[in-house]
Amino acid sequence: MAKKYTENELEQDLKNKEYEYGFYTEIETEKFPPGLNENVVRAISKKKNEPEWMTDWRLEAFRAWEKMEEPDWANITYEKPDFQAISYYAAPKKKPELESLDQVDPELLETFKKLGISIDEQKRLSGVAMDIVMDSVSVATTFKETLDEHGIIFCSISEAIQKHPELVKKYIGSVVPRTDNFYAALNSAVFSDGSFCYIPKGVKCPVELSTYFRINEAGTGQFERTLLIADEGAYVSYLEGCTAPQRDENQLHAAVVEIIVHDDAEIKYSTVQNWYPGDHKGEGGVYNFVTKRGIAHKNAKLSWTQVETGSAVTWKYPSCILKGDNSVGEFYSIAVTNNYQQADTGTKMLHLGKNTKSTIISKGISAGKSQNSYRGLVRVSKNADNVRNFSQCDSLLMGNECGAHTFPYLETKNPSAQIEHEATTSKIGEDQLFYCNQRGIDTEKAIALIVNGFSKEVLNKLPMEFAVEAQKLLEISLEGSVG
Amino acid sequence: MLKIKDLHAGVEGKEILKGINLEIKSGEIHAIMGPNGSGKTTLSSVIAGREDFEVTEGSMTLDGENLMELEPDERAHKGVFMSFQHPIAIPGVTTTNFIKTAINAKRKALGFDEMPAAEMLKKIREKAELLGLDRSFLSRSLNDGFSGGEKKRNEIFQMAMLEPKLAILDETDSGLDIDALKTVANGVNTLKTKDNAILVITHYQRLLDYIIPDYVHVLSDGKIVKTGGKELALELEEKGYEWIK
Amino acid sequence: MNMNLKDKLSASFLAFESNYGVDTNENLHQIRTHAMDQFEKVGFPAKKNEDWKYTSVKKFLDRDYSLFPIKTGNVTHKDIEKLLLKGTETYKIVFVDGVFQTHLSDVSHDQLDVCILSSAIKKPKYQIVFNHYFNTVASKEEGFSNLNTAFTSEGAYIHIPKGKVVEKPIQILYITTDKEKEVLLQPRNLIIVDENAHVQIIEQHHSFSDNFVLNNTLTEIFANKRAVVDFYKIQNDNIKASLVDNTFVQQKEGSNVTVNTYTFGGDMTRNNLSFYQVGENINSNLNGVTMVKGKSHVDNQTNVYHQQPNCESHELYKGIYDEASTGVFNGKVYVEPIAQKTDAFQQNDNILLTDDASINSKPQLEIFADDVACSHGCTIGELDKDAMFYLKQRGIPSKEAKALLLFAFTNEVVKRIRIPQLKQAITDIISEKLGVELEIEM
Repeated sequence: MAKKYTENELEQDLKNKEYEYGFYTEIETEKFPPGLNENVVRAISKKKNEPEWMTDWRLEAFRAWEKMEEPDWANITYEKPDFQAISYYAAPKKKPELESLDQVDPELLETFKKLGISIDEQKRLSGVAMDIVMDSVSVATTFKETLDEHGIIFCSISEAIQKHPELVKKYIGSVVPRTDNFYAALNSAVFSDGSFCYIPKGVKCPVELSTYFRINEAGTGQFERTLLIADEGAYVSYLEGCTAPQRDENQLHAAVVEIIVHDDAEIKYSTVQNWYPGDHKGEGGVYNFVTKRGIAHKNAKLSWTQVETGSAVTWKYPSCILKGDNSVGEFYSIAVTNNYQQADTGTKMLHLGKNTKSTIISKGISAGKSQNSYRGLVRVSKNADNVRNFSQCDSLLMGNECGAHTFPYLETKNPSAQIEHEATTSKIGEDQLFYCNQRGIDTEKAIALIVNGFSKEVLNKLPMEFAVEAQKLLEISLEGSVG
Repeated sequence: MLKIKDLHAGVEGKEILKGINLEIKSGEIHAIMGPNGSGKTTLSSVIAGREDFEVTEGSMTLDGENLMELEPDERAHKGVFMSFQHPIAIPGVTTTNFIKTAINAKRKALGFDEMPAAEMLKKIREKAELLGLDRSFLSRSLNDGFSGGEKKRNEIFQMAMLEPKLAILDETDSGLDIDALKTVANGVNTLKTKDNAILVITHYQRLLDYIIPDYVHVLSDGKIVKTGGKELALELEEKGYEWIK
Repeated sequence: MNMNLKDKLSASFLAFESNYGVDTNENLHQIRTHAMDQFEKVGFPAKKNEDWKYTSVKKFLDRDYSLFPIKTGNVTHKDIEKLLLKGTETYKIVFVDGVFQTHLSDVSHDQLDVCILSSAIKKPKYQIVFNHYFNTVASKEEGFSNLNTAFTSEGAYIHIPKGKVVEKPIQILYITTDKEKEVLLQPRNLIIVDENAHVQIIEQHHSFSDNFVLNNTLTEIFANKRAVVDFYKIQNDNIKASLVDNTFVQQKEGSNVTVNTYTFGGDMTRNNLSFYQVGENINSNLNGVTMVKGKSHVDNQTNVYHQQPNCESHELYKGIYDEASTGVFNGKVYVEPIAQKTDAFQQNDNILLTDDASINSKPQLEIFADDVACSHGCTIGELDKDAMFYLKQRGIPSKEAKALLLFAFTNEVVKRIRIPQLKQAITDIISEKLGVELEIEM
């Protein structure tokens, strides 16, 4: 008789499965001592040679933050970070102005290789322009000339503050105000870098733009700030990937992403988030508290796609303010939690304009002792006629120690709205596994197959290259986790 | 090919199979018939390696290799195929994708490279035609929302794709109308060669009008109580299972 | 100057306790005192409380409610006739201004107990049962529930013994009459249905007063093994009457309980409905129709706690909001780790008829077991324009066409009513609200 692959063995396998991206790169860095006060904020601003208006902007944010309290309404429990024990600036020392890849530190290149980011010619041919932010500082932006030809600005936000202050000044904080929430305020005060992108009127960006974020130094927080603007009739597809080394203590990541989609423009924003999730005992891992929001003007379209497999704690609600008439908002999400991971994620669709449409497809997969929550708001304002929304939230549970939660809020003040919400919960059945086994597919592969089937509607929304990576991530995250 | 000796097996401490002896050689078709609760489904599940069933005594080999030591997927790689009485749905995974995964898993286990896409496609088309499946069917999620007949045809399609040494057809006729039954039987007969073998498990003899067995075994209370040629099936049909008791 | 309601309630509690006597039931005295302590701690719910996000009780807190009716209004059979079920015999338990009315009621102690709570509290014969069940499933945390418990004195007491199938529906009627001032009443119902017993109960609150009325009512239902209970709430009160209804259901193995909530009027109506499944193979059903206009505000809060394996719950709530009415649906389904093979379905559909109406819906699933089938759905929309056009094209005038579609919308719930006479009565109310005569196939 075949030996039964017991749940214990599966669990063991899972525990032994190490975080694939948990390496640390030895690069000399310049790092501030831990602690946060006005002087630190000033120092960050000075370090970056920022104009006075930017320094003041940060200081105002800091003062607001000091008066705010860390929110606790999400369905997550964690030890609150000690904000004075974090270093707020860490930059690879050999950095600064890199014009080409040749100038990139070879160790850094090695890091990228391990990350699976090949910033090489092949990648260029595949049509991805990439900005890499390591420990809060942008180290390499590729594909510059092509972008220049089209008048597309794609650079680090620090560079944008220097070279395009009028754009930064106009848009920063316009979608996520500094006082929006605790983490957004903190980010506004101390953000060290991030990406900036501006697509001029009528330009369809010919390549995918991509940013890779990585936390490297111990005891640092990463606070990047991303600002994307598609001017009238423009289009861009933007990708974002995240990793961090394996550490015992929790690392903090509190990013802000602001997106402005002008009339008739479209932005697709895709994220594959794989921050270190902590080990099987629930130790270590990244706290991921992110504010992502975009505004869509007339006939504009904003689409968020995310694959969330990492972080110990995730608190994230990419949102769309559908301000312009006929604007469209989309949210496609796969959130996988395993071991002791906790995710409270979802979206907000704020329908302000007439004939605005939104679609929400959320797939939550919980395994181990994890908790996975969907929290979403669909709000239809009084003057927003003929709004359409469709939401679907499906959960897949593996084992009996995890939880799946859905908290959809539907608020409608206009009778012409059509709002539909559906949710289901299911599990991977032993019958399904045996059926696959009988056809010669082993249990690991069978789980991957079933999970991919479950997640298909979202995976299909990712750019090809990312979809493959995301699929791989799903497999890694769930190896051996069937109950 | 398949040798089963004094096989005892049960579930949760309750013995269902009480000493089965069965030998199937290449090129043969065997049928196992028996009333409900006689242990038919247990036998097929035990051969395929379903974990819920525990073997307490006896042996089971395929081409001399001990099957008991193998996981269900490893048994599949050795050429054991079971057509399920109730095929399982996997939403979001197309039949094509599923069969591709299964074929390549087997090839990998046997040390071959993945099957080239063009070859795969050709084979899929060929076998789909054999079972009268149209292409839209293949791009639907596996067994998801399929009718009973579609599911059974899909099982035989997969059998055609995987080319097993030993195919176990567990109550394949249940829920099929006569036309679907003929299509399925025709498919099975086409796939039959001198190198493989088929074990048909059924309550009624009507499938055996189309898939003609060399041997018919009657299973009752966990034991094979009678073995004969294809005429035994007809006799059973006529006299009922009470007759053999 | 008026006292704040919370302070006033606190101040009145001692007087109330001495009025109703400590010596008659020591157990109850303890429970009341504890509930009052708890109420003083938590107070009335505020908007920051997630469960009260969309419903404010602020306006009630400044009103100078009379807590203990001084004299009871004179109500005749004729007055309540239209509230009674026609065409079938019923048991009746009728209260006017909180006081039981023998001449309007039809109670029984013959093979079952259909009577009043004040008797059960005092009389030794019932006290054992009362003490065993009372306040064991009601919330010990929430403000309104504790307040009701603290002031428990009167209400319906229904005990159906083992195997008894009650042929006649039981009607519970709470009437408020005209007083010089606003009234706050806190009726309390205790319903115990023993093994294999069946019962159908209809509860209604109605105000004949022009003043503000607030009813904070609490019902505990205990369904023992394989008991079948149908509970109907008809909420069709006037625009000055508000209701906070707290209903808690505890179900044992194999029982089947259905709570139907029909809301057609009132100022503010808040229904807190909780089901606790404490055995296997339980079936819980929650049906609701809300059809309101004016400035009515209706908030349906439901909780289903799946605490044992192999149980089901089915929830269907439909809402139609006209004029400036507002609606809230907040449905929670909890599936505990042990509750494998749970089937839980929840659906909430809403239609907004005007620009001023609004609805906030929050269907929630919290699931900790993996072998379950749980789903929820929610829709918000307006009347189907194509269907309207189709009906009009066939010559049906706008008003009738609209009525027909709205009736069809509610009928999916209405058709689940298992008392034919009540189904007719509800259909009549809906026809009246729609302003048309509807021929309904029963």
